[in-house]
Amino acid sequence: MNPQLSRRRFIKAVIASSVAAASTSGVHNALAQDRSRGAVERLISLNVNGQTRRVDVAPHETLAHTLRYKLGLTGTKIGCNRGECGACTVIIDGITNYSCSTLTHSVRTRAVRTVEGLQAADGTLHPVQQAFIDELSPQCGFCTPGQVMSAVAFLEENASPTREEARQAMAGNLCRCGAYDHYLNGIMRASGQNS
Amino acid sequence: MASFDVMPEVQLYQPVELGDALNLADELGEDGWLLGGGQDTYGWLKDRAKSPRAMIDLNGIEALHGIRETDDGIEIGAATILRDIIRDKRINRDYSLLAQAANRVASPQIRNVGTLGGNLIQDTRCWYYRRGLDCYRAGGNICYAGGPEAMNREHAVFGASRCVAVSPSDTATALVALEATMVAASISGTRTISADDFFVGPDTHIEQMTSLEPGEILAAVRIPAKWAGQRFYFEKVADRDVWDFALVSIAAAMSMDDDTVADCRLVCGGVACTPHRLTNVERAARGQSLGEESAEALAPLASEGAKPLNYNHFKLPLMENLVRRAMRG
Amino acid sequence: MSDYTLLGKDFTPPDVTGKVTGKAKYAEDFKVDGMVYARMYTSPMAHGRVTRIDTSKAETMDGVIGVLTAEDIPEVEAPNAAILTNSPAYIGDPILAVAAETEQIAEDAMAAIEIEIEPLPFVTDPLDSLLEGGANAREEGNVYARSREGSGFREIKWSQEQIDEFRAGKEPTGEFVSEWGYGELEQGFADADLVFEEPFVTIGYAHMSMEPRTAMAYWENGKCYVHGSAQSQSFWIPGLARMLGVEMKDVCLISENTGGGFGSKIGAYPIAALPGYFSRKINRPVQLRVTREQEYYMGSARVGFQGWIKMGFAADGKITASDVFIVEDIGPNATGGDASSAGGAISLVYDPTAMRFRGLPVLTNTTPRGAQRGPGQNQIAAVMAPIMDKAAKQLDIDPVEIRKINSTNNDTIVYADRSPVTSAYMNEALDQGAEMFDWETRKTQPKRNGNKVRGLGIGQGYHSAGATGFDGLIRITPDGRLHVHSGIGNLGTYSYATTSRAAAEVLKVSEDSMQIHRGSTDNHLPWSSYQAGSVTIFAHTRTNYVAAMDALDKMKRIAADTMGGAPEDYDIDGQRVFLIDNPAQGMSYGAIAARAIQLGGEYSGDSYPEDIHEITQRAVQNLAGTGLVGVAKDNLHQEGVIPGLAVAFCEIELDLETGKYDILDYVGIAECGTVMHPKGLAQQMKGGAVWGFGMAKSERHVYDPQNGLPANVGYYQCGIPSYLDVPSVTRTDAVNIADPQNPFGARGIGEPAMGCSVAALQSAISDALDGHIFGRSPITPDMVVNHVMGRDQSYKPLQTNNF
Repeated sequence: MNPQLSRRRFIKAVIASSVAAASTSGVHNALAQDRSRGAVERLISLNVNGQTRRVDVAPHETLAHTLRYKLGLTGTKIGCNRGECGACTVIIDGITNYSCSTLTHSVRTRAVRTVEGLQAADGTLHPVQQAFIDELSPQCGFCTPGQVMSAVAFLEENASPTREEARQAMAGNLCRCGAYDHYLNGIMRASGQNS
Repeated sequence: MASFDVMPEVQLYQPVELGDALNLADELGEDGWLLGGGQDTYGWLKDRAKSPRAMIDLNGIEALHGIRETDDGIEIGAATILRDIIRDKRINRDYSLLAQAANRVASPQIRNVGTLGGNLIQDTRCWYYRRGLDCYRAGGNICYAGGPEAMNREHAVFGASRCVAVSPSDTATALVALEATMVAASISGTRTISADDFFVGPDTHIEQMTSLEPGEILAAVRIPAKWAGQRFYFEKVADRDVWDFALVSIAAAMSMDDDTVADCRLVCGGVACTPHRLTNVERAARGQSLGEESAEALAPLASEGAKPLNYNHFKLPLMENLVRRAMRG
Repeated sequence: MSDYTLLGKDFTPPDVTGKVTGKAKYAEDFKVDGMVYARMYTSPMAHGRVTRIDTSKAETMDGVIGVLTAEDIPEVEAPNAAILTNSPAYIGDPILAVAAETEQIAEDAMAAIEIEIEPLPFVTDPLDSLLEGGANAREEGNVYARSREGSGFREIKWSQEQIDEFRAGKEPTGEFVSEWGYGELEQGFADADLVFEEPFVTIGYAHMSMEPRTAMAYWENGKCYVHGSAQSQSFWIPGLARMLGVEMKDVCLISENTGGGFGSKIGAYPIAALPGYFSRKINRPVQLRVTREQEYYMGSARVGFQGWIKMGFAADGKITASDVFIVEDIGPNATGGDASSAGGAISLVYDPTAMRFRGLPVLTNTTPRGAQRGPGQNQIAAVMAPIMDKAAKQLDIDPVEIRKINSTNNDTIVYADRSPVTSAYMNEALDQGAEMFDWETRKTQPKRNGNKVRGLGIGQGYHSAGATGFDGLIRITPDGRLHVHSGIGNLGTYSYATTSRAAAEVLKVSEDSMQIHRGSTDNHLPWSSYQAGSVTIFAHTRTNYVAAMDALDKMKRIAADTMGGAPEDYDIDGQRVFLIDNPAQGMSYGAIAARAIQLGGEYSGDSYPEDIHEITQRAVQNLAGTGLVGVAKDNLHQEGVIPGLAVAFCEIELDLETGKYDILDYVGIAECGTVMHPKGLAQQMKGGAVWGFGMAKSERHVYDPQNGLPANVGYYQCGIPSYLDVPSVTRTDAVNIADPQNPFGARGIGEPAMGCSVAALQSAISDALDGHIFGRSPITPDMVVNHVMGRDQSYKPLQTNNF
């Protein structure tokens, strides 16, 4: 390929894609008849950490956005916003999901748990949280809420796992500090086993 | 590049009846975007590289869920979550190839929400295309990945035609090996398409990866009983064992007549725009007994006809090695 | 071994609970009233000149508050990076920013902006730029040269023949810009019984900290408040003030927690000043959330190497000479330094009798480069390990033994200036590691098992691990509590807490009676070191020691003044100052503090030593009269190089058919003086190991040379190790011998923890493949498959920034 040519083409491509994006940013209004076919309403009730929260949610809004910017639950972190790191992991009906890659409207009828919902009413930490402290699991801490949520969901399903099972289950949570060993120690401790 | 990151304005429909979804799909045509687990959707939209007018969320449609027994095998609703497939007893007993492949998809959280249909019809990961460039696949008239200096380690060694992108789906290879049939629904009814014909290369349609027509929804996948409980082999080689797509993968189904192969289907992922049948190997394998000797004899057939690019010729020996492993017994 | 009360013991750092509950706040978690959201438009072109910007459409959109361009910001002279630029030198270079009521509106507005950029020639591989006729990454030149006569950009070109020879693994003959050495190099090679040359490439790669470098800023009474993602606290202030054009007193940095830095957030980076400028322009608080892709672009990256090394070994294994030449890929606007540091590491770790370093920093239109965990030392650690193994094999010496023969000890003198080391126990580390790993048994075990082959590796890591001259600041308040003020920053190494405990140790204060103040400039923080370069443990156990000694001295003087006798008649314990001859006669710390306030002057911070930094002075002024103040600059004796050392042993199983390899076992031994915080040390050693695995296995920049596009701007493409790419258990320990130049015997470790790992893995891969040296990092499955099957590799020799 002629590098000159390809470069010019490339530049044109960039500008063209930019224009294309601009032209489609107009708002599409749902017709009333759409309601019956599943067009969504904006004001919805969410079940978050056992509480019902009424919140105005755009159709395209992600759960991470709603949690962080509308409900003030900033424990859920956005590390990549693309489902490639796990920092935004929350538990939905007992199963871990990336909240950056979940539409809020898809969890309307479901129970969402975030890191803020783990402590007991008297402030006692969840066993996973306590174990992560005891094992000094977090380093920078940015991935930690996601690690906590994955560990909590995993132990609820498998109370006495092997270390290898834990490792497989935690694989969707990246830690750039490389604290995997200490997180696994924490999970084994939380399950009542020695790491 | 503005490096967009938040979801732009897009309408959302969450129908509960398949009929409503089909009507929406028909009306919206190319302005509509079918939503399964969404893991291949939100990146496109956040990047503003694709700009549909509305998303049609298929997850609320009961008819698209579940694993059912049929007269000839099983039928899996397209909106069935990969997690449920991985854990399904019957699939693990009879079609463990699919469970194994599904278990190597992306990461646990993605398998927790990703649907079988979504995994099958996801778009290619060619990084040039994903950047929103105006390549053939995006409707332009250039391929950035094919040139001798292009960074094409992950691209095709078979079936390239202007576009050199590869199929990223792990479950697709397994379902082609299992001779699955795809059930496509539209307002004018349903039709079935064999897995071999479901996935299309750039010579057939350069802008799409499947033969689904606009307005069609993949409703279900049928797996025939023919391969139930047969000998299977699945392996995926990727840089990292989580998140990453296959450099090369293999899915093999073999029916045995004592020690010899009566019939078999071998399919590689990551080497072509579609799951790539190793028909040479299949032909030569019938009647052979599994073992080191036949593995050695069959392996070189795997890469016959391959046309490697500069950075991906390693896929040839890798394919051969995976065939070796499948045929060693 | 230490017999301290607090130091050397595990503890729960005060900030860790917030990390597991989600209460810990990072820059983006702060919102203030009236805040608006900024988004950046970054260059789509690898090199160009902005000729037209039309923001009119965007500015009339509902919810758009304003636009910030390079015209709004004072120009800076290259190689300093501009906050916004009209001369982009890499894809992702920030050109403008838009502020709006929501992020979505800001992005909609961004899409409506029209920008025209005139393309300029660009280059992604240094050798393509060095070649005559090749493009220069900047209009000013293609090389950055530092010299006594003056530093700056230059153009250096090599002939096709010179490039070809370099690619062919021959000694480079082209021009270079830096050189140093010691000993008689030619004699060294003449004395050698084994001489060989190796070319090498280490590809640079992005830091990709988990927290993108989001920043938020607002102004209040002429003072700029910045919420940033900072690796350091006080150390950021001079740079931030300079970029914002204000005095240091008019900047407040709030950075309670930082989601990783690894060298990329040491000092204030340009983007951190953008919200401050924007806020001043539109008079609204502005938050700039940086996306993952932008973090790739401007979040800094490791410098890549393309090099050649010649080694001479005597028959007994001693390195007689080492000659290294490194072309370093410094991206669009760095000035180089990794290469020379690599030369320094060869000198320190392998102690060649004679050596020469030559270096050439070449600019490319790839992402900006900066310090990344062991900058230079860790690249060369990866290169050297298989080379040591090759020599061992050819000379029939055990690989552990050949490293011991050349290892650093207390008497080693290092670098071109032949400096002493404060202390060094590499042999002890190697012995300890070999025993823990059971090297002697393992090396005799069979390697091949079907298509799998086992490989054993040994790695050595080094980074200078200390700094001096920073300030310590503590207080004792009338309630008897000890307050330690720390401006180190908080990356999660917990060294701010560990070093603060040094003050409590000196003053015999219990854990419960100590409080640490940090996280915001307004918490009156002293001038502290950057939290980088493995320095904080050494530097700030010293600052807190001198501050505590100052407080101790003052307490004894107050006691003598109040109760009679001389200060030396008094001692401390149980948070009391008492008469040695009559322990019942004494004063509590609280009473002493109250008395200090009455006395004023130096006791309560009304006066302070002249040699403390302006930032510390201001902190003391603000704290004056609140208690007994201990404040001092670290003027303790220090000479020579302070080495942080680590060794690693690992065993891998490599699958010859897939090119994949599993790490079966890993043992890392830290040699960092006295252990201050065992769990924290284990964290650093294990985290460093993961970083080393990433560098050895999968992390690298990939650029398409045809259009300058980067291939791996996201997390999954960058190849950062996951749970499944590292062993489930990594074993670590420490030599734990005190360094004489630290009051508590401590040195740092963060960076060598990675160097030993990448080296051990490279060594093990070479061992598994019968001594084959790829001379390259990372080593990916495709490379292994191609090698095993006897196929050519896809890359040209010495090619970089490729798959």
